[in-house]
Amino acid sequence: MSMVGPLSGLKVLDFTHVLAGPFATRILGDMGADVVKINSQTRAIGTQDATHPYYLMWNRNKRALAIDLTTDEGKEIAFELCLKADIVIDNFSVGVLDRWGIGYEKVRQINTDIIYIQMSGMGEGGPWSNFVTYAPTIHALSGLTISTGVPGREDIGLGFSYNDHQAGLHGAFAVLAALEGRRQHGKSQRIDISQFEIGCGFLGPALMDLSVNGNTAGPSANDLPFDQACPHECYRCLSSTADANQTVSGEEWIAIACMNDEHWEKLTNLIGIADWAAIMKLDSVEARLQHKNEINEKIEMWTSQGEAYTLMELCQNAGIPAGVVQNGADLIENDPQLKSSHFFSKLPDTHPDLGEQYLDRLPINFEKYELNDYRRVRVIGEDNEAVMKDWLDRGAEEVKTLEDNEILK
Amino acid sequence: MRNGSGHPKRIDFGSGLVNTVISSKLFREGDIAVLEDLTIIDLTDERGIYGAKLLSDLGANVIRPEPRDGDPLRKRGPLHETNDPDLASLWYAFFASNRRFFSLSLEDENECQALQHLISRADIILRCDNHFTEPVIDTDTLIKENPNSILIDMSSFGKVGPWKDYLAPDLVAGALGGSAATTGDFDTPPLKGFGELNFMVSGAYLAIAALSALYERGESGSGQSASISVHEAIASCLEHVFMFYWYAETLDRKEGKVLPRRGALHWSDAYDVMKTKKGSIMITPTPDFDNQLMWLIEEGVQEDLIDPKYLEPENLRLRVDRSMEILRKWALTKEAEPLFFEAQSRHAPYGWVLPLEELMQNPQLRARSWFREQSIEDQTVECPGAPFRLKREGEEIKLPLAAHVGPNEHKEQLLKEIGWDAK
Repeated sequence: MSMVGPLSGLKVLDFTHVLAGPFATRILGDMGADVVKINSQTRAIGTQDATHPYYLMWNRNKRALAIDLTTDEGKEIAFELCLKADIVIDNFSVGVLDRWGIGYEKVRQINTDIIYIQMSGMGEGGPWSNFVTYAPTIHALSGLTISTGVPGREDIGLGFSYNDHQAGLHGAFAVLAALEGRRQHGKSQRIDISQFEIGCGFLGPALMDLSVNGNTAGPSANDLPFDQACPHECYRCLSSTADANQTVSGEEWIAIACMNDEHWEKLTNLIGIADWAAIMKLDSVEARLQHKNEINEKIEMWTSQGEAYTLMELCQNAGIPAGVVQNGADLIENDPQLKSSHFFSKLPDTHPDLGEQYLDRLPINFEKYELNDYRRVRVIGEDNEAVMKDWLDRGAEEVKTLEDNEILK
Repeated sequence: MRNGSGHPKRIDFGSGLVNTVISSKLFREGDIAVLEDLTIIDLTDERGIYGAKLLSDLGANVIRPEPRDGDPLRKRGPLHETNDPDLASLWYAFFASNRRFFSLSLEDENECQALQHLISRADIILRCDNHFTEPVIDTDTLIKENPNSILIDMSSFGKVGPWKDYLAPDLVAGALGGSAATTGDFDTPPLKGFGELNFMVSGAYLAIAALSALYERGESGSGQSASISVHEAIASCLEHVFMFYWYAETLDRKEGKVLPRRGALHWSDAYDVMKTKKGSIMITPTPDFDNQLMWLIEEGVQEDLIDPKYLEPENLRLRVDRSMEILRKWALTKEAEPLFFEAQSRHAPYGWVLPLEELMQNPQLRARSWFREQSIEDQTVECPGAPFRLKREGEEIKLPLAAHVGPNEHKEQLLKEIGWDAK
């Protein structure tokens, strides 16, 4: 079932769950790797339930093998699969695969160039190693929550599981780096990824600033935290629908970012405040920052009278960086750029229980491969027979027996 | 396993020109890295520089050309006091780590030819559009002359389409890409993440594309180009956003197809940042609601959560909402730090909203030696490290961190390595 792509032929054994790990293996599967997703009826709860929309988002292009890892026979099959794999990847807490008897140290004795990627919350070792984390936990601990928002508030942070995506990206990157390491050295490797450290890394310059200068960066709303740009804000536009409940639904916003004096000059000409700006002597960013609130009021007077996409086009045509604040519906329904690149599509293969499924494609375009052969998310155990044949050369009858005995379940 | 039972075959690229012509490493003798045989030309700006960093921090030989009058990114804050303005930017020290710099003037024919020579012999070229070398250096032609080369091209919106020429610094990229619409609260504008988090996503994809093409080269024997749109990269990392749209009927949420921004409250309604008597903390009753309930009962604050109605599957949302309501009141009687440790001792995934000062002293980061020392001029600066710890056949690989230097520091060495006449 694996697709043709730059990673065709690569065998990935996927023990991951929730978002971070499955996103890493989704990327590998999108590029043609044969990703075998291990799940089981007993573990299929919450976001591990193969019918949950969340599961549907992150597990395309993978084959589904059901193994009950609470049984000795199930563990033995998992061990055999590890011996055939190029990559074994998990995002459990530290030590789970060892307890199942399929840890790196054991497997590498036989599969001598195996690559293990462990994507735990805190990484192996250290006093917090066994802490339980999800993306909101990591956001809070890594400084991403306290630094994102408006001054005086600690309860905003990022509105989606950013760090889970980043952990997935770093997981895929680690796999690929290890493959190059294997090509150079031909030896087994184990990469221990700390999702916490990934998050902390995005605060890199801020932590260096604290270390060197003693400055503590705080939330800077839409301003740049360390540099100067003004105006640099999201502005309310003419609402597309009535907003009687005073909620954020129905709001339309545009981001405008004047990164230099030239952008500012063009903006003042476009919205007709050049004379006012001249009188106020706003030709330097320092002066503009002193009058930020007045500038923002002037701009919002203009934006509040216009439709967001029209304003964006006016700005961009004038050479001013500006963009509509697009939500999910905007991206899927209105975004002409994503339409032109066929970023969204319906999967051709309808799910037997869930019907139509959709996808946003991998945002990498390879010269040699058109990666447009996406496969739907599989039912738990749907590929038992094929995987057992391809990886372990086990016959259909034997697989049926294992299923009947609830080992492959 | 590919190629029988062994590791992938190693392709002999004839002269082995890359590894023999550009052989000198940035690191000291004895340092071990992962990607040390790889030579990369870094033509990125802020949209892709994080990807080049990921590769250079694993030991690749990454050469970064800079304009002779200075890379504008060397002016990025935060800054520190130094005698050399080229070394003032801590931002650049972090993101341009482990690079060798090659400064040149586009009016100097000899320097341009030297750079062409470097590009034509590199394994990988990472390029953001509108790079300063574009007017003079024809990278596309150079790539074609070396069929082993890999070129990863990054642009804000792709090379075609109605927005292909749109300008998109991080704020605008995040607005159009969908991240800003999810971040902020009902009483704030849509917000960007701290720093340039959108470009950290595009950067990571850049590194993935480069190594994927490299892996494929190992199989096919020839390089290729690949392109990435920052816009698509951001849109691909929005967690619940497309799920809400596509599976609205299944989810059956009152918000419909679009969940508005609402502070730290997670789409599931079951994770939120709550105030305490001292500090803030992310609290969730998941994944084990019973475990949380037992704790609340111990404290005598369970209110009506013991009502059997909350155990009915159809009342799950009611249970989530009521649990969060009680937890918010309860949190106000606690302090964030001890509550966090108590929760983790009970395997509850709470997260203390750590102030950055606490992060600098964090025992987990210290125990894993995550911070590393970087030399900048005559100072030693504590610098965040990589999120990876690597073992090769059980032996830990130490990832080196080279001194951060000015744009001219490596030029002579680089020219010497390629046998170039600097005159």
